[in-house]
Amino acid sequence: MPYFGSEETVKELKRALSNPNVHADRLRYKNYISKVIRYMTQGLDVSALFMDMVKASATVDIAQKKLVYLYMCTYASDKPDLALLAINTLRKDCADPNPMVRGLALRNMCNFRMPGMTEYIEQPIVAGLRDKASYVRRVAVLGCAKMHSLQPNTDIGRAKYSVYLNYYTLRDPSLCVLNCFRLNTGLMSDFVFSCVFSFRMKDLDSWAQSEVLTFLLRYRPRSDDQLFDILSLLDSFLQSAHAHVTVATLRLFLQLASAHPAVQADALLRTSAPLLATCGAASRELRFAGLCHVQQVMRSQPGLFGTHYKRFFCGYSEPTYIKFRKMEILVELVNDENVSLVLEELRSYCTDVSPELAQAAIAAIGRIARTYSEKCLDILTGLLALKQDHITSAVIQTFRDLVWFCPQSTAAVCQTVEACVDSPQDSEGKQALLWLLGEHGDQISSAPYVMEGYIDGLKTELSSAVKMELLTASVKMFLCRPAETQDMLGRLLHYCIEEESDVCVRDRALLCYRLLQRGVEETRKVVTGPKSDPSMSVLTGRQEEPISQWTATFNTLGPLSGRDLCPQTAVISAADQPSSSAEKELLPDDTDEEISLSLGSPLSHETFEKMWLDLEILHRQTLGSPRPRTAPDTLQAALQLVKIQTLAFTPGDTVPWKAYIYTRSTGTLILAELLQGDQQAPGSDESLVVSVKQQPVNQHAIRGFVSILKSVLQTLNVDSS
Amino acid sequence: MIGGLFIYNHKGEVLISRVYRDDIGRNAVDAFRVNVIHARQQVRSPVTNIARTSFFHVKRSNIWLAAVTKQNVNAAMVFEFLYKMCDVMTAYFGKISEENIKNNFVLIYELLDEILDFGYPQNSETGALKTFITQQGIKSQTKEEQSQITSQVTGQIGWRREGIKYRRNELFLDVLESVNLLMSPQGQVLSAHVSGRVVMKSYLSGMPECKFGMNDKIVIDKQGKGGTTDDSGKSGKQSIAIDDCTFHQCVRLSKFDSERSISFIPPDGDYELMRYRTTKDIILPFRVIPLVREVGRTKLEVKVVIKSNFKPSLLAQKIEVRIPTPLNTSGVQVICMKGKAKYKASENAIVWKIKRMAGMKESQISAEIELLPTNDKKKWARPPISMNFEVPFAPSGLKVRYLKVFESKLNYSDHDVIKWVRYIGRSGIYETRC
Repeated sequence: MPYFGSEETVKELKRALSNPNVHADRLRYKNYISKVIRYMTQGLDVSALFMDMVKASATVDIAQKKLVYLYMCTYASDKPDLALLAINTLRKDCADPNPMVRGLALRNMCNFRMPGMTEYIEQPIVAGLRDKASYVRRVAVLGCAKMHSLQPNTDIGRAKYSVYLNYYTLRDPSLCVLNCFRLNTGLMSDFVFSCVFSFRMKDLDSWAQSEVLTFLLRYRPRSDDQLFDILSLLDSFLQSAHAHVTVATLRLFLQLASAHPAVQADALLRTSAPLLATCGAASRELRFAGLCHVQQVMRSQPGLFGTHYKRFFCGYSEPTYIKFRKMEILVELVNDENVSLVLEELRSYCTDVSPELAQAAIAAIGRIARTYSEKCLDILTGLLALKQDHITSAVIQTFRDLVWFCPQSTAAVCQTVEACVDSPQDSEGKQALLWLLGEHGDQISSAPYVMEGYIDGLKTELSSAVKMELLTASVKMFLCRPAETQDMLGRLLHYCIEEESDVCVRDRALLCYRLLQRGVEETRKVVTGPKSDPSMSVLTGRQEEPISQWTATFNTLGPLSGRDLCPQTAVISAADQPSSSAEKELLPDDTDEEISLSLGSPLSHETFEKMWLDLEILHRQTLGSPRPRTAPDTLQAALQLVKIQTLAFTPGDTVPWKAYIYTRSTGTLILAELLQGDQQAPGSDESLVVSVKQQPVNQHAIRGFVSILKSVLQTLNVDSS
Repeated sequence: MIGGLFIYNHKGEVLISRVYRDDIGRNAVDAFRVNVIHARQQVRSPVTNIARTSFFHVKRSNIWLAAVTKQNVNAAMVFEFLYKMCDVMTAYFGKISEENIKNNFVLIYELLDEILDFGYPQNSETGALKTFITQQGIKSQTKEEQSQITSQVTGQIGWRREGIKYRRNELFLDVLESVNLLMSPQGQVLSAHVSGRVVMKSYLSGMPECKFGMNDKIVIDKQGKGGTTDDSGKSGKQSIAIDDCTFHQCVRLSKFDSERSISFIPPDGDYELMRYRTTKDIILPFRVIPLVREVGRTKLEVKVVIKSNFKPSLLAQKIEVRIPTPLNTSGVQVICMKGKAKYKASENAIVWKIKRMAGMKESQISAEIELLPTNDKKKWARPPISMNFEVPFAPSGLKVRYLKVFESKLNYSDHDVIKWVRYIGRSGIYETRC
């Protein structure tokens, strides 16, 4: 119980409320009532006072009435039997000559959250719909909606009829009819549609406009003519002064005109100005919302905001969440003209007080470095000279990623790492440095000595991840520079096997030890993998996505919550995809052809990347046919035909050729990579290799998927030859 | 839709809690407190998702306002609604502070009852709300007032009562602007914009129709076409390009779209007619020229020159320049030509205040900052130099060309109305990097 002596308080209040002297003094009485509400707000359970409060509702003072009603609504579900007693008072109020009182009573009666209420409310609602004061009618219409949510299968046919009647005969403008929209049960969208035409949207306030636009999303125009009628009617709202109306209109345009890309592009172009204005809005929350939406638009039209990159420079006093978004956008906007200015700007963020922000800025520079490596490397090298731990660590991590994605920068990076005197202090940074040393030890002349420092300081090292990385790196180093490394590798292995308490580290050490026992060549085969993988950048490098990929989440919470929510929703949609999935599971899995694939909701690049890295490979198989020599579009279209979505693939004839694809089947999500190795390299043939990952696991589905994939590729090969 | 609205103080105590939908339980109140208000780290995002419930929050001084929903709603709308709510509350009881909220909690509950129903925003115009809110309580309404409520909700003009009478018809118009600037140390403008508001206070009888004109580029150009051509060069210089503007509900948008004329029936009392933003041809009232020199490891020399850049006849007021100093500052010597400068150790800054300064003047401050030698290798991040001021003109260049009042039924004309116009330009975030 959060408040000490709460029982005492309730008793005291009860005594006061039943005291006739208090009743006599109106002001005192009201004070006690507001006291009750105050305790209620603070979380004290004052439901014991229900009877006394019901009595207090019989008053001419409207403010007091409101307070009592608020109390009743809060506790009605706890005390249904007592609440029934209050209903009589409320029904009496519904017939009060004052429209304020009538509306108030009706509204609160509908707010009672308990089953069985409908039989009491229905009659007052129907009466309210015919009331002569529009205040009451407005409340009554919303009452219908509340009633429906209370008992979804109630027959409100009569009420609905009255709504129509109301609308056509009384011609209630704005609020009253608007609430009809909110009554989203059973009202045909045709009706909504005719409303939009018949009354002027412009006269509504912005909340209402936004809502009407949302309702229109459900409307399917009967013909193109009608579609364009709607769009031209709503055209001016694309540049509405209220951000939420603009965005809602944009979404409507994008969704309705999905078959007309030119209309979509035009709408995007015209909303770019209001969107940018939102990004500079006075209130930071709105600015944040604007930025998130800009980011989403940029997924399809990266060029749209190119010239306005200066708008996304961070102000010093802006909250970090805005700064993060702005940096992400800046990275996307970089082009030949603005690159030096953007980099200059990002560099100034690197020295920010918040280490988190500084690291994000460095990572952003790293992203740009994939295209403009020279300039970025200069900046990153310059940052190392600042000799600040968090910056050094972030720079080293960026280097690691950079080397992995673009091997041409390796030499420069190695030079810098060699020149860098102080080493990162946090485990992430240490791991990155060790990886660089191990992988590229042959190009960093001081590498063994740096590593020796780590091996000597092993006893004070706390993180087991760093120790494991150190083991792997030392073994790799031993392979390329045995003379310098042999002694310390011995010490390292000895320490890890004999004295280390962490099981994982010891196991890794034992593995290394036994591997080395088998001989150097064997070890080399196991330990050395590819040093870089430029094809991975296909995944991270953005391609223009079709607009339809994100319209469904536009103008909702989706873009704001960003990545964190994405995987969740993906899984949800995968889970409750076909309702018959449970039945399908029960079918005997005799033939592979039984399996059915579906596209489901599209995955974003980030989600895919994250899942791909998280999941284990479940199945790997040579498909027995080479990559079809058709145009990439044909391949994509063919796969789409069998409900397999292509996410990304290596362009042209580059080797190794890779493609990432995914699909859904009976409740599972299948991710796959197609790989065609280098034909000239020994030991590999022309055939494609498919690696499949899945969540959740369903072997049956994988088999089905592979067989479908095989047949598609074969067909394509036959066609092209 | 909005499922509930909570207001907390800085300690996380609930001041107001109103639930509109069943899906929001009592525990939502605590979830927000624990996860956001009491969270150790900085606020990550204005939208927090806890157990499939989304919390939108806005902070005003040390009060938290949170809207809660379980549905996937239009985020921009919820935020705009929260601001609107703040505006409404400010209109009723002034500044949003813990004390004010505690003192007016009955009123706030009344407001929340009216502006949201079942989680849908309803009428949120302060003027119109006044009829529903019975702050004084005990006051049974007369027949006349009752009919007013009816007409108010039904009628087209929801923001004005009928039958208002004043002995003296007066109209106050304030153009309030705030200039935002981010300048590089070399004097290059990185970003600059003006966000302005036209705030009016009207005491007019009857149902007057007002017409408001300003030197908006589109209007001027239109008129220039009709008139003499050699005039256009001159007017082009004096007109301004407005990037975007928002109007009060009372402005007839259809007329604005077709003729760019702003005509409206004004609400009674205070209201904000229009809000706008410009980014082009901004008159920057001040330029800050910083010079920072590091002399060895323990000394910094800072010289800052400010130049006023407007008509010499005008006076800027309340000028304050804030020059940040490093954390390890041990002593500061300041010499300034004008005003007073002081080193404030608690704020890590030299604050230089000048009461008044005329246009086209220049003033200078130089400071020597002694630093404690530290073994902290961290380089000083050099936060930007910020500035505050108030000038009696509109930095965007906006001018009110006319403001006409027509009232056909009552016998007063445009000439009888006393009109006051005033321009105030203030600094928003006015920063120069050094």
